[in-house]
Amino acid sequence: MYLQIITPEKSVFNGEVEEVLAPTLNGQIGILPHHINLVTSLTDGELIIKIKDREKLFGLTGGFLEVKDSQITILADYAAQADEVNTQVAEAAKKRAEEIIKNKADQLPQEDLRQAQAELRRALLDLHIAGSHKKRHNR
Amino acid sequence: MANIHILKRRINAAKNVSKTTRAMQMIAASKLKKAQNAVLSSRPYVNKISEVIDNLIEKTDKKYTNPYLDNKSGADKTLLLILSPDKGLCGGLITNLVREFTKYQKETPETSYVILGKKLEGQVLHFENEIIASFPFGTTLPSFSAIYPLIKIIEENYNSGKVKNVKILTTEFESLFRQVPKVTNLLPLSKSTLDTEDNTDDFYLFEPNKKELLDSLLKHYFEMSLYQKLIEAYLSEQASRMISMQNATTNANDIIDDLQLEYNKTRQAKITSELLDMTGVPGE
Repeated sequence: MYLQIITPEKSVFNGEVEEVLAPTLNGQIGILPHHINLVTSLTDGELIIKIKDREKLFGLTGGFLEVKDSQITILADYAAQADEVNTQVAEAAKKRAEEIIKNKADQLPQEDLRQAQAELRRALLDLHIAGSHKKRHNR
Repeated sequence: MANIHILKRRINAAKNVSKTTRAMQMIAASKLKKAQNAVLSSRPYVNKISEVIDNLIEKTDKKYTNPYLDNKSGADKTLLLILSPDKGLCGGLITNLVREFTKYQKETPETSYVILGKKLEGQVLHFENEIIASFPFGTTLPSFSAIYPLIKIIEENYNSGKVKNVKILTTEFESLFRQVPKVTNLLPLSKSTLDTEDNTDDFYLFEPNKKELLDSLLKHYFEMSLYQKLIEAYLSEQASRMISMQNATTNANDIIDDLQLEYNKTRQAKITSELLDMTGVPGE
């Protein structure tokens, strides 16, 4: 079955896969070939895809998933592959966002605050994904 | 015969102009490349999301309503969002925008304005129009978060029924050499697909449910299409600036060539007449 992961910035993944585990609003779902047609919203979390014996790990923040005739399309707000996450950059982003939220929570307009929170969420997810990627590899 | 010092000075001035315009051309070219990438890479997302929405709307019953699709017919006002550059020196782009704006204004006087970009702000103010908000456009590629304040203002006015529809005036990018200002509809989103026949053959599962999915999909779609307009306007600006600066550089170089020729002629004439003086041949 064919999987496409697209974000507003770029196309993150394109290729044949055997299984997809995706974080939906109602919990994680697994998709195998010949899955029924489906449209669902995704939440923040890990997306795991299995190609032959290998697993690939992605971090997602929100989006949609469509299955249509064994064609899977994931429209994510943001998606990063685990081994491509730069932990230092994510760490710095986390720190910056935390500081903004802590120090300026009362002065900042709502939009900026929400943006900082979204950034923090993304950074935490990146770190989390990178962490579990490492664990898997060390095993 | 022109004074040789004045000629020299004019040559220098033209050289400086050529240097400046050349630098601006280079800057615009590099910004253009980035903008082009941004437009191209967001295209698959928009195509796919509209495909999913079309598909979903087909399968939703006709009673479904959403503020993004609904035409609230209470008010007769229109909200026009104008995207214009902050800076000039981009050829005919701003003049064309102003012309389009004047035309629009004549046709639809009942309009409130939201303006992004300084260049058209003064123009709109000049006609004592109702301006709800005005932002600077900025000189770098607009980030996605730039649309949130816009969306907030649009939704405040649209959802409360103060305006019946939202339109956008922006410069569409056709090619490097052609950018066309155009007024297009933003809200309500067109629902041509609603009339298509149900093909109930393929069964679909929806989670959590169709309504919630459509709500958030439409919101996403609206945000994305607005963002696309933003980067396209930016792309047009840079393309227009690059081309006009290229022309300016060529013109400056032509002027330098002409002046240089005249300078050389004048100098040669001066030397010849001095030589004639020295050899004692009667000049006149």
